[in-house]
Amino acid sequence: MSLKYLPVDVEKEIYEVEISFKDLSITRKEIEHDIGYSGISAPEHFSGIIDAVLSRAADKCGIRAGYRIIDIQKKEDANHGLLLDGVFFSPDKIIYPQIKKAERAAMFAVTIGREMELWSGELFRRGEILMGYMADAAASSIVENITDLLHDHIRSRMLESEMKITNRYSPGYCNWNVSEQHLLFSLLPKNFCGISLTESSLMLPVKSVSGIIGIGKNVRYSKYNCNRCAVKDCTYRTRRRPGEKAVVLK
Amino acid sequence: MNDASEKIGVCIERGKVNKSSPYPGDMAGQDGADELTVSALEWGVTPDKILSACNIGMQRIGEKFGRNEVFVPELLMSAKAMNAVMTHLKPFFQSGNVKAKGKFVIGTVAGDLHDIGKNLVAMVVEGNGWEVIDLGVDVKPSKFISAVKENSGCIVGLSALLTTTMVNMAKTVSEIKAVYPGTKIIVGGAPLTYDKAVKMGADGYSPDPQGTVEFLNKNLL
Ligand code: B12
Repeated sequence: MSLKYLPVDVEKEIYEVEISFKDLSITRKEIEHDIGYSGISAPEHFSGIIDAVLSRAADKCGIRAGYRIIDIQKKEDANHGLLLDGVFFSPDKIIYPQIKKAERAAMFAVTIGREMELWSGELFRRGEILMGYMADAAASSIVENITDLLHDHIRSRMLESEMKITNRYSPGYCNWNVSEQHLLFSLLPKNFCGISLTESSLMLPVKSVSGIIGIGKNVRYSKYNCNRCAVKDCTYRTRRRPGEKAVVLK
Repeated sequence: MNDASEKIGVCIERGKVNKSSPYPGDMAGQDGADELTVSALEWGVTPDKILSACNIGMQRIGEKFGRNEVFVPELLMSAKAMNAVMTHLKPFFQSGNVKAKGKFVIGTVAGDLHDIGKNLVAMVVEGNGWEVIDLGVDVKPSKFISAVKENSGCIVGLSALLTTTMVNMAKTVSEIKAVYPGTKIIVGGAPLTYDKAVKMGADGYSPDPQGTVEFLNKNLL
């Protein structure tokens, strides 16, 4: 699928991509899986509620996604550092080797806006706790799905100039300190895609994702290698299901 | 009469709120926790007896949760059924004939706005017979301290989403402990682990609502 993209700042190579709810491939099954029902089916009543949530989600998602492509000015093996437009990142030893061979990087951000979040809160207040919970879970799955689409878009756009891309990495994952969100957002226009950052590095709207993707002739997309990572309770390693000890996913 | 309270216990375990509730599918059309409590009280079943049947129901669903047979949604349905019972038992609480297990003060720490996890924990804890005082999100240590003052003997729960706000959580724990060293504090949220909880001086950690209930019940005075 080819997505339309528009320049925000041509010189700085900042773009916003048009993604509509119809472009997503989000399914009830995926959400059920995310809340625990994998290998065991969810009660019909719950599935019905997820369907009801999904049928209203299109109107409640204000999807925005964008990125900036920047040359990597400098790489420091010794401290796993990357210099991008004068900003020095320390993505730590799991991410750094993946990006190291890249010449450029895409710094991205996506969001679905506040409405799903507000709706979920409203449902909780009205006592419709189950639907409130499902709306929150659906919103999370939707953001992830949008991030996949943006990732695919960047991949196909880079392929046009025979460049390859890496996996995407987010501050707060793989030991990359979440406080570097401030560095990441300093490279993007203020309020990029409608996202702002609090002092404690929380993005608002809450249902947002940010990160980096390496771009280059010699980079590759690899299967996640969780063995290298010390973060035992990360999503990519585990679905820390309620009551469950960490389980290796991939 | 025993039968009446037992049936209420089953409704709690299965999350059957009232007659019109379509959940669970195999109990559609049957009386739920709501109707059964009304008739049990009419027949003279004591509120205490109803409550202990409810506790058994809650305990059973909690065990299933521990075995990964059910997940958060089922816990929420049980909590909802429990709320239906509590609506009818409220007058007995007000008259002092029946007592809540204790008070649980919960909030998301300063700098953090994530509330869904905290809300789920609050709901299930309340469903288990505790009085819950929910301070909301972005709660400063001073607000927790005044809540502890107002609710003497309470247990405190702190929630955080990011490692950055976990720093504020550690601060909150130490500030509360500095003023009220005897106050038990349990912490939770996605970035927490048991080790991190111990390190910040908390008394407990749970990855989910059920573990929170178990911690609270263990700390019943
Ligand atoms: C879904 C998810 C998302 C979603 C939605 C997030 C949201 N807040 O709504 C999306 C995709 C948007 C997202 C984005 C990000 N995420 Co995220 N996300 C998750 C994930 C997979 C589940 C979180 C969730 O919503 N769970 C469901 C809710 C209901 O559970 P909960 O809030 O955790 O609450 C439960 C328990 O924690 C517990 N509990 C909660 N409070 C309390 C309180 C007490 C007292 C007790 C006892 C128990 C308790 O009981 C609750 C019910 O079961 C976790 C990993 C994980 N497996 O937990 C990462 C996780 C929270 N994310 C993480 C990160 C880093 C991010 C991002 C910063 C990444 C990025 N750069 O884009 C952003 C931040 C978003 C923002 N607004 O700033 C990290 C946070 C750790 C850190 N390093 O700071 C985590 C832990 C993943 C990891 N690295 O291991 N995320």
